[in-house]
Amino acid sequence: MRYLGVAFQYAVYLLEAGLVASLVVRRRAGRLLPAFLYLSLLLVIDGLGRPFVLYRYGYTSDEYGYFYWLTDVLLALGSFLLVCAFFQRACLREPRIWRFVRLVVAFVFVLTFAISLFTLSRNYDQLFTRFIVEFQQNLYFTCLVLNTLLYILMQQIQSTDDELNLLVCGMGVQFAGPAANFALVHLTPGQDYASALYPYLGALCTMGMLLTWFYAVTRTPQTAAIPAREAKRAEFEAAAAPHEA
Amino acid sequence: MFTASLILIISTGLFFFYLQVACQRILRKRFEEEYYRAIVHANRLEFPAVRKSLEEFDAPVDYSRVRMTLQCDYLALTYLLKNAANVNQRFTGEERLLIFYFRAVFFSLVLRHVLKLREKPAILRLTAILQYFANVVGQRVSTVRFGNLAASDYLLSL
Repeated sequence: MRYLGVAFQYAVYLLEAGLVASLVVRRRAGRLLPAFLYLSLLLVIDGLGRPFVLYRYGYTSDEYGYFYWLTDVLLALGSFLLVCAFFQRACLREPRIWRFVRLVVAFVFVLTFAISLFTLSRNYDQLFTRFIVEFQQNLYFTCLVLNTLLYILMQQIQSTDDELNLLVCGMGVQFAGPAANFALVHLTPGQDYASALYPYLGALCTMGMLLTWFYAVTRTPQTAAIPAREAKRAEFEAAAAPHEA
Repeated sequence: MFTASLILIISTGLFFFYLQVACQRILRKRFEEEYYRAIVHANRLEFPAVRKSLEEFDAPVDYSRVRMTLQCDYLALTYLLKNAANVNQRFTGEERLLIFYFRAVFFSLVLRHVLKLREKPAILRLTAILQYFANVVGQRVSTVRFGNLAASDYLLSL
């Protein structure tokens, strides 16, 4: 079972590195800058930082525990910012909606960041208790709710941006699995199976996200997104225009 | 405790929802031609007839027959996906995901039947997956040429 977890972890490292390389080679890093930055952060923390600390201090050390959980919070906050960037991309042709969404998203981010900082600093000494489980559960769930609101917004404005749609789906998988797992750990105190599941489920969900993103980057056409309203207007104008001989 | 239960239920639901949306996005892929027709014709697959009867005639669902039909078509198409004009003789990642999705929807069809819920949406979803598989097989086969004829042209002329 332990080897399975290691295999998953190495698969995640390979996918992270492959996706970053793919974005650079295909010259899509600029177009997908927020996703590229997030992936680079993920690669540095998950692919380099954690293995280094693990190698240096060992799996059962406090140092590794603190590094793992604090970087996990950092990654969750990073993905929160990424969802905000996706909101901006979704509202590219809807400036009025973006003006409102920008305020809400900024407020929610500042609030989440402040609460995270406050509760972490107050409970820093009890990081390995139930506190971190509850904290991570709430943080992932907040990200999941925000991501789902983005998905609903995209359906409402009839966004035709297939790439963004897949990126959002990937994020959804990445948030939903760990949120459910943390909630299960919280609900079953003293049961090891729920917490033992996290390394596998977390890695599987990250793999799910990375594979969906791979598909989005490599398979979806690179055409610019045309909002449905404009597409409909163009269709209507083409139909209404007099036919040329 | 209540909040954690709520988070567990909603997160699990959303996890499967996002997986389903990702599969639906893959299924929306457009092919240059309707490759699936040649494959359906050559292998006497029945899923287009099932879909037509449900969409156009709104016929009542004959559960046991439809289930058997879809299962047979699935077995035939997955065999072809793996072996027909496939140099690697392996499923691709997206094919594996859609195979998993097919099984999940098929399971939901069985559940819907047991619980006496509407079966039509699940059946239509299954036929969409089968059509995608047939299109992929057809596209691969069409790249193989026999003299002046592509394999799909040959199959259509049967």
